[in-house]
Amino acid sequence: MTEHGQNAPGETPISTQNIPSNFRAGADIGGTFTDVILLAPDGSYRSRKVLSTTDDYSRGIVDALTELTSQASAAPDAVDQIVHGTTVATNAILENRGARTALITTQGFRDVLELRRLRTPQLYDRFYEPPKPIVERRLRVEVTERVDADGSVLIELDEASVYAALDRIEAEEVEAIAVSLIHAWRNPEHERIVGGIVRQRLPDTFLSLSSDVLPEIREYERTSTTVLNAFIGPVVKQYISSLDRRLKGAGSAGELLIMQSNGGVMAADAAALAPANIVESGPAAGVIAARELGLRAGFADLISFDMGGTTAKASLIEKGVVARTTEYEVGAGISLSARLVKGGGHALKLPVIDIAEVGAGGGSIVWIDKGGAMKVGPRSAGAFPGPACHNAGGEEPTVTDANVLLGYVNPLGLAGGEIPVYPDLAEKAFAQSIAPRLGLPVLDAAWGAHTVANATMIRAIKAVTTYRGRDPRDFALMAFGGNGPIHASGMAASLGIGTVIVPPAPGLFSAIGLLEAQQERHYTQTLFGSLSGLPSETIESAFRLLEDRARSEIGEADLTIKRSVDLRYAGQGFELTIDVAGSPESPTWIASVTDAFTAEHERTYGHSAADEPLELVNVRIIAASGKAHVRPATLIAERSGSNAGDRTIYFGSTGQVQAPIIGRGDLDAAPQHGPLIVEEYDSTTIVPPGSTVHLDDFGNIVMTMPNANA
Amino acid sequence: MTNAITTIDPITMEVIQNGLGSIVDEMALTVMRTAYSGVVKDALDYSTAFCNAEGEVIAQGLTIVVHLGSFPSAVKSILQQFEGRIEPGDMFISNDPYTAGGIHLPDIYVIKPVFDDGTLQGFACVVAHHTDVGGLVPGSNSTQATEIYQEGLCLPAMKLYERGEPVESIFKIIERNVRVPDKVLGDLRAEIAAAHIGERSFLSLLRRYGAETFRDYCNALLDYSERLARAEIAALPDGEYEATGHIDGDSIESGPVTIKVKITISGEELNADFSGSSSQVKAGINSPIAFTRSAVYGAVRLILDPSAPNSAGYFRPITVTAPAGTVVHPVLPGACGARGITGFRIMDTVAHALAAVAPDRVPADGEGGNTILSMGGYDADFNPFVYVDLIAGARGGAPWADGAAGIPHPGSNIANTPIEIAEVELPIRIEAYGFAQDSGGAGKFRGAPGQIRQVRLLADEAILQMRSDKRRFLPYGLHGGLEGTPSMTILNPGTDDRELPTQGMTPIRKGDVVWHTLAGGGGWGDPADRDPEAVLADVRNELLSIEAAERFYGVIIQPGTLTIDQERTAAHRSS
Repeated sequence: MTEHGQNAPGETPISTQNIPSNFRAGADIGGTFTDVILLAPDGSYRSRKVLSTTDDYSRGIVDALTELTSQASAAPDAVDQIVHGTTVATNAILENRGARTALITTQGFRDVLELRRLRTPQLYDRFYEPPKPIVERRLRVEVTERVDADGSVLIELDEASVYAALDRIEAEEVEAIAVSLIHAWRNPEHERIVGGIVRQRLPDTFLSLSSDVLPEIREYERTSTTVLNAFIGPVVKQYISSLDRRLKGAGSAGELLIMQSNGGVMAADAAALAPANIVESGPAAGVIAARELGLRAGFADLISFDMGGTTAKASLIEKGVVARTTEYEVGAGISLSARLVKGGGHALKLPVIDIAEVGAGGGSIVWIDKGGAMKVGPRSAGAFPGPACHNAGGEEPTVTDANVLLGYVNPLGLAGGEIPVYPDLAEKAFAQSIAPRLGLPVLDAAWGAHTVANATMIRAIKAVTTYRGRDPRDFALMAFGGNGPIHASGMAASLGIGTVIVPPAPGLFSAIGLLEAQQERHYTQTLFGSLSGLPSETIESAFRLLEDRARSEIGEADLTIKRSVDLRYAGQGFELTIDVAGSPESPTWIASVTDAFTAEHERTYGHSAADEPLELVNVRIIAASGKAHVRPATLIAERSGSNAGDRTIYFGSTGQVQAPIIGRGDLDAAPQHGPLIVEEYDSTTIVPPGSTVHLDDFGNIVMTMPNANA
Repeated sequence: MTNAITTIDPITMEVIQNGLGSIVDEMALTVMRTAYSGVVKDALDYSTAFCNAEGEVIAQGLTIVVHLGSFPSAVKSILQQFEGRIEPGDMFISNDPYTAGGIHLPDIYVIKPVFDDGTLQGFACVVAHHTDVGGLVPGSNSTQATEIYQEGLCLPAMKLYERGEPVESIFKIIERNVRVPDKVLGDLRAEIAAAHIGERSFLSLLRRYGAETFRDYCNALLDYSERLARAEIAALPDGEYEATGHIDGDSIESGPVTIKVKITISGEELNADFSGSSSQVKAGINSPIAFTRSAVYGAVRLILDPSAPNSAGYFRPITVTAPAGTVVHPVLPGACGARGITGFRIMDTVAHALAAVAPDRVPADGEGGNTILSMGGYDADFNPFVYVDLIAGARGGAPWADGAAGIPHPGSNIANTPIEIAEVELPIRIEAYGFAQDSGGAGKFRGAPGQIRQVRLLADEAILQMRSDKRRFLPYGLHGGLEGTPSMTILNPGTDDRELPTQGMTPIRKGDVVWHTLAGGGGWGDPADRDPEAVLADVRNELLSIEAAERFYGVIIQPGTLTIDQERTAAHRSS
C-alpha cells in the first residue's frame, strides 16, 4: 500500500464548494493489476495495487477497498461514491463472450451487418478474413416494413411478421435482441412498436433499439453499434449487479459510477442499459487525469501519452478539451490504419476519446525482417513470458531489454526491487538474434530498438495531431504508464516538442483520473438538412429533446449543457463537430456557426470554401452534472534524502554518459541539467543531456527540451 | 541498385519508412474526409503516394492496389514533358492514358513537385476516381464508347498551379465539361489539399536528415524492397506458367475478350507476357499499359510477402511484355473508361498461372472485381444527379477456409455506399442488399456467396450503365473445387423480367427496378471433402438450400429439425 498527500501541510483540496464530508473511491481494472484509490474528504488519498481477480473482478475491488477503509479508520459506509473503470465490456467483445444476440431488421437488409462497409484494412492479402459478425445469419431476422428517407412510411409494419420473427428467435434461446430498421434515425415509430412487442413477449431479454442507442444516419454503423450494445448488455448488467451486491455486502452504501469511453462517468444502472458507452472505459481515465492535472498546472494544450507493456496510446487535449471521435471500431486489433481504413473490427459510433494506439510497449518484441530491417512489435512477450531480463522464460529481446542495456531501467530491479532484472539475459537476447544481423555492437542494437520503438509510437502521436492539422510542437507531452517516462524525452526530441511532463504517481494515473471525472452523458440525433434551410425551431427543438432526455436519465434538473453540431460542406462524406453557443433561433447563430466551421476546416484540412453551402448532419449535446466533489489533492513528493549514486546511460548521439540517479523529491523549482535519472516506485524518467528538469508546484516533473523553441 | 554515399543504418531507415508511411496516410485521410462524391468519400476509390525526384514510388497510402503501379508513368510523363520547366509552387493535373500515363479519364491525377532549397526532391501524388468527366454516360464509365473522344474530358499533363497561382482556365474548362461540377471541383480541391499537406510533411521529414542523406535513405528503401522481391521470386521454381482468362464480352461485340499470360520465372526475375491476348476492342474496356503494369505488380505482390514497404523497388525484378494494339496495351483512339474489369481479369489470370508454383498462396477465383451500377440523369428542374454504386466482394475458397464474403477484389479495396446516405442524397431507393442463396462454388472450402442489390429509380428518367462480368466465364475453382456461380442483371424482376447484358447502357424510367447479383466465388478442394457440419451451418444460415446440400455435398439434412441424417449422408457420400 502507498499513501499520498499526508505530508503535505498547507495543501488544500482543489474543489472548495459543496464538498461532501465523506470518502470517495476509484477502482481501475487493468489486464494485470487492479488499482484502488481511497480519497479522504481532505483530498489526501491512499492506494492499493492488487492482481486483478479475473474470475470475478469485483472481489479484488471490494477486498482492496475494505482494506483501505479499515486503514483509514473509516467505516465502510463512509464511502459516498465509487467510480469504476472497467474492461468488462471490451473483454466481452474481444473474447466473444457476450450474450447470444438476435437482430431484427427490415426486409431485404438482413446482411447489412455482415457485409459491413466491405473495405479491408489489408492491402495485399488474398486471404484476409473479416471479423465474424456478432450475430450469425440465422439469428438475423427480417420484418416487413419500410420507412423512406424523409421519414414517411412506405410499407406499414406488419405485426404478424414481428411475431413470426420472435417465434424464431424464441426457439433459438437468445439473451439479447437488437432492433435496427432502415431510416429509424429519421422515424423511430416502427422500432418502437417492434420493441413493445418484444418486451411483452420476451420481457427478460435484453433489448436495444437503434433509435435509442444511436439515432444517426448510416445503417451499418447504427446497426453494429446497436448489436454491440445488446451483445454486451447482459454481461455488463450482471457484472454491475454483482459488484453492487458485493459492495453492499461489505457495508458500502456509496453510489456506483462507471467511466465511459467519452471520459465522463455515468450511474452504474444507466451504464447497464447503455453499455456500448463504456467499451473504452479503461483508457479514458488516464486522459481525463492528464487534462485535469494539466489544467491545474497551466498546461491546457497537451498530448497525453500512455505506454504500458504491450501498447502505447496517444491522445490530444486542446485548450483543456479532450479530442473525441465517433469513428471507432472495437476489436480491430492495434493498427493506426483503422483511422483510414475501417473494417478490422466492429463499428461503434458513439463518442469516444480519440486515442491512437500502436503495438509498442515494454514487452514488444524486437526482430529483424527478411530484408534486414529492424522492427518492434506488434507481437509482445506480455506479462508472461515477459522480457528476457525478467528471467520468466522469455528469450526474445524486447523494448524493456533494450532499456535495461541502455541503463534506463534500474539493473537491480523494478518496483523497488520487487521484480528482479537480469541484465545479462537482456544482453544475451540482443547478442544472439539482433546485433550480429545488424553488424552492430549490442549497445547500438539496443539503442536502435529504443529508437525504432519511438518511431512507431510517434505515428500514434501524429495520428492525433498532424493527421488533424495540429502541430505537435504546440503541445506539451504528458507521459505516464510504466514506460512512458522512459521514452518521452526521445520522442519529444524527434517531434520538436519543447516540454515533457511526468505527473506524480504515473503508474496510478488512470485510477486518479476516475476521481477527476465529472458525471456526463453524450447524446446525438441526426437531423440532416442544409444549415440555412432547416427551420431554426426544428434545430432548437432537437437540442431541447436531447436535453430533456439528459435531465431525466441523469436525474438532475440543473445540468451544464454543451451543444455542438456535426457539419460539412453540402455533399461531403465526413463531418466536423463544431461547438456552438446560444440558440439556433438567434439571428446571428448561423453566421457564427459558419465561421467556426470554416476556421476548423481550414485548420484540419488546410483549405476551406467560404461560399459553399453547409449541411447539418447531427446535433449533439454533452450534459454534465453540476455536483461538485472532492478531488485528489496535489501530491508533494518526499525528498529521498539519499543519493542513489550514478548509472551509465547510453544515447546514440552522445554515447555513454554518467547520470546521477535521483528521486522526484530531490527536484525543486530550480532547473537541473541532464543527464539525470529520476527513479520512482513505478516508473523511471530519463532526462537526456542538453535538457533541464524541474518540479512544479503541482508535483509534476517538467522537462525542458533543448529544441524548446524549434 | 543505387550506391549510397551515406552509410545506411537499418534503424534510421525504419524511422524514415515510418515517417513516409505516415505522410501518405495523412494525405489519404485528407482526401477521404473532404471529398464530395460518393465514389471517393464512400467507396474510397482514390490513392495517395509519394514519388522521388525520378518518379519512383517511395510510399503509398493504404488505398487501391491497382493505382500504385501507375504513379510512375504519370510522374515520368511530367518529367519528360516539362524538363527544365518544373518550378516551385507548380502543381500538375492529368488523366490522359495516351500522353500522360493515365489509366482512364475519370481517374484524375494531381501531382505536386516538392522543392527544398530550389532543388526538386519528389512528388506528392494523388489520384481520385471522379464521379463524372463528361462523355457518353453519367459517371463517364461507358462501355459503349468506341473511341476515347467519346469518353469525356481528356487532360494532358498540364500545370494546374503555376508558381503557386491557380490556372483558372483549367478549372473553368473542367467546370463546363462535367455533369456535376460541384462534386468534381470539390473532389479536386480535396486532392489539392492532400498534395499540399503531403508537401509540408515531406519537407519536415526531409529537413530533419538533410536532403542528401534523406535521398540516400529513400534509395535504400527502394533497394530494400527490391531485395525482398528478388529473394522471394528466386525461391519460386524457374519455369514458364500459362493461364487464360476471359471477359464475357463487351457492349459492342458479343464474343469473349481473352487475356492470355505466360509467366516466366528465371532466377530472381519474373516476366509476364501477354502475347496472344485479344486485339484492342472498340468498347471502353481496353487497359492502358500503365494500368496493365499496375495490375501485374499487384497480382505478383499478392503471392509474396505482404509486409514489404509499398515502394516501387518491389517491382524492379518484374517486367511486363504487352504488344501494342492489344486489349492490355491499347493505342489511340482505344476507349478505356471501363478498363477496371480488364485490370481485374489481368490480376486473376496472373494469379491463376501462379497457382501452379504457389498452390498454398493462391485461392480460387473470386467475383472478378466489383460491378459498377450507375444511374444518372436530371430531375424535373434539370439538376443533374449521378449515382455510382459499387457492388463487390465474393472471394474464392482458400486452402484452409471458405472464401471471405463481402471482401472486395484485392485489386480494388473499395467500400459500399450506405443505403441511407444514397437515399437521402439521390432519387433512388435501394430495396435489397444481401447474400444470394445457393451461390458460390462448392468445394471443401466453398466460394463466398454472391450478393444481391436491388435499386429503384425515383426520378423521371435516367441512363443505367452496367459494368459487370462473369455470367458466361465463371470464377475458376481450384484443386477439385467447383466454378463459382454467374452474375445476373434483371430489369423489373417479376414484371418485365428483362435480362440486361453484362455491360452496356439502358434508358430507364421512374419506378424501374434493377436487380443485380454478383458472381459467387469459386470453390477450393473437392466438395465431397467438406465437413458435413460446415454444410449444415450453411443450411441453418440459409445460405444453402437442403437440396443443394445434397446435390453438391452429398449431405442429407432433415428439413424439420435441420439435422444431418448421418446414415444416408454416409451412404450418399461413399457412393
